[in-house]
Amino acid sequence: MFKIFKKKNIEKTNLGSKVSSNQMRFSAVILIGYRNMSINKLRSFLTVGGVAIGIAIITLLISLGFGIQGMVIREVTSNNPGNIIDVGNNSLENFVIFDKSAIGRIENIEGVKDVEISANIGGKFIIGDSQTDVVVNAISEKYLDLASSNIDLEIKKKLFLNPKSVAITPKLATLLGFENPDDSIGKQVEYSMIIREEMLTNDLEDSKEESQKEDQNKDKVLTIVGIVKDQTKDDAVYAYVPIEEIRMVYGKVAGQSVKVSVKDESMVENTRLQIEQLGFSTESVLDTIADINSFFSVVRIILVAFGVIIMSISAMGMLNTLSVSLLQRTKEVGILKALGAKRRDIFKMFIIEAFLISFLGGTIGIAVGYGIAKLINYIINMIAGKYGVASANFVEIPSIFVISIALFIFILGVVTGLFPALRASKLHALEALRYE
Amino acid sequence: MTEEKKEIVIKVAGVKKNFIVGEQSIPVLMGIDLEIFRGEFVLLVGPSGCGKSTLLHTIYGLEEPTVGTVFIDDDDIWVKTKDWRANFRNQNIGFIPQQPFWIKSLTVIENIAIPAIITGKTFAEGIEIGAKLIELVGMSEWANHRPYDLSGGQQQRIALARSLLLDPKFIIADEPTGNLDRAAGEKLMQLLLDISEQFNITILMVTHNTDQYKFGTRIVNMVDGKIMSDVVNKGSLTEIKKDKN
Repeated sequence: MFKIFKKKNIEKTNLGSKVSSNQMRFSAVILIGYRNMSINKLRSFLTVGGVAIGIAIITLLISLGFGIQGMVIREVTSNNPGNIIDVGNNSLENFVIFDKSAIGRIENIEGVKDVEISANIGGKFIIGDSQTDVVVNAISEKYLDLASSNIDLEIKKKLFLNPKSVAITPKLATLLGFENPDDSIGKQVEYSMIIREEMLTNDLEDSKEESQKEDQNKDKVLTIVGIVKDQTKDDAVYAYVPIEEIRMVYGKVAGQSVKVSVKDESMVENTRLQIEQLGFSTESVLDTIADINSFFSVVRIILVAFGVIIMSISAMGMLNTLSVSLLQRTKEVGILKALGAKRRDIFKMFIIEAFLISFLGGTIGIAVGYGIAKLINYIINMIAGKYGVASANFVEIPSIFVISIALFIFILGVVTGLFPALRASKLHALEALRYE
Repeated sequence: MTEEKKEIVIKVAGVKKNFIVGEQSIPVLMGIDLEIFRGEFVLLVGPSGCGKSTLLHTIYGLEEPTVGTVFIDDDDIWVKTKDWRANFRNQNIGFIPQQPFWIKSLTVIENIAIPAIITGKTFAEGIEIGAKLIELVGMSEWANHRPYDLSGGQQQRIALARSLLLDPKFIIADEPTGNLDRAAGEKLMQLLLDISEQFNITILMVTHNTDQYKFGTRIVNMVDGKIMSDVVNKGSLTEIKKDKN
């Protein structure tokens, strides 16, 4: 029965009172922490649950925040690539046209790939007895490639197949006497335009006089090739006409605005600066993105403040649990110290328990928060699908957020575990054993 | 006793201990000199409040003396660091407190393994040694129960198993039978005596119970913080056994 002792006793005698310095294994400390949580199931459940709810709410809000921000930016940039700069007049008083020399100056700027002009011209459309005022967007095919446009590919193809084509808005079709806008497709429309003299440029091959002359002689009829729905305004009245046709009829019409494509998105800011130095104003989708980002930064600050409040409550719950745990386990600390546990062993036991609570709460919280966000995404997409709206992903957890949460969980563990762990480690063995 | 048995294991040298209560200094130990030899089963007896437990705790390295010191195997334990004393207790002394204290969330066998865990072993390693000791104290069937489910006597047997886990040089027991009925107390004392005799483990035990004097090979009687008598117990079971042989 005492076999195990015999050999050991010999070793012990040889050992004298040699003392080796050891400390409790990490795995053993984790097991004790886990067991302590298991034995106090309800308390552990409530504490871990408190942390999990806090983290879940933050994850839900942040993942929706990042997701919606990403979705908005994707929508904005889908038709507006980041490397396109819109160039226009600096002010209404200082009317600038984009003639050959202006375009040349822009083209010479480093990083500029393409420069395409457009002109908005006031005019009149006539079909039989119906006539209406209209704004004509005179554009090139390449301009449409650079622009955010509501013209679908089919119409675009038809529009530039024959320069004597026009795409009109539904409201314009109605004003021209078509109850159903689609009925206007294929119909011919007569037009006249008011071209201001400043818009005719000298530095293009033809003179103004020639242009005026041509105006009188040309056939001013266009064929309607498509209906273009304006996504922002139902009653918009305008038309797209190839600039080639306008120039053929009215002469060399200069641009009122241009789109500049830059070789690389990183060069946009520098190119804009140089264009602005030429006296033009510029706009880029990057401005919009910056505005969106700035708006969502404010939203995030609010969410973080909200999250800090929630987590403060969770942290107080954790601190309470750990303090109660310490009181209940004072005698355990006493016997462990009496049996040879060092301060650092006791400290580890309590801090690890705090980490276990925050780690479990954090992991469950992230999973639940992300899961709920995904569920909301799924339900909304399902409802949207029934109404024929395209589905979208508006839930995102950026890796930086996951790293931040991991860091936050670590800090939460340290902050809430530190005080009880220090208090426990400082307890005197005998006082702890006498604690009632 | 043979010369070998006369090897000093514990030497208490001029130990005085005062407790400070408010502004008062209350003397509890008033100059204790004591030598304990290897293999002895020493019973520290005396009325309540005479300083038995304080002396025991001073020897165990938990209560620092106001004056004097304690040598164990020539090591002056009170000039060493706190961590040294903690490691020393863990690796060299078995401790049985009056009330057995447990880690509530662990099973009986895991609690027995605790000294090994403190010394840096895994639970598996500790349990492997503990399994043999729980058999030694006849409690194997309770290995996977919670310690507080057991009776007082059973718990003290488990505490004995725990104290033996790291093969200690000696055992310090602070009235281990204080909360037990007579039969359970006798059983535990017999177990302690068997272990002391078979493995030459020195035992220093505080007791109030005069019925248990027969188990001790030496009886040190304390009164008011002083040793009043220190005698070899001629009527001990060990001596009787020797005489019979």
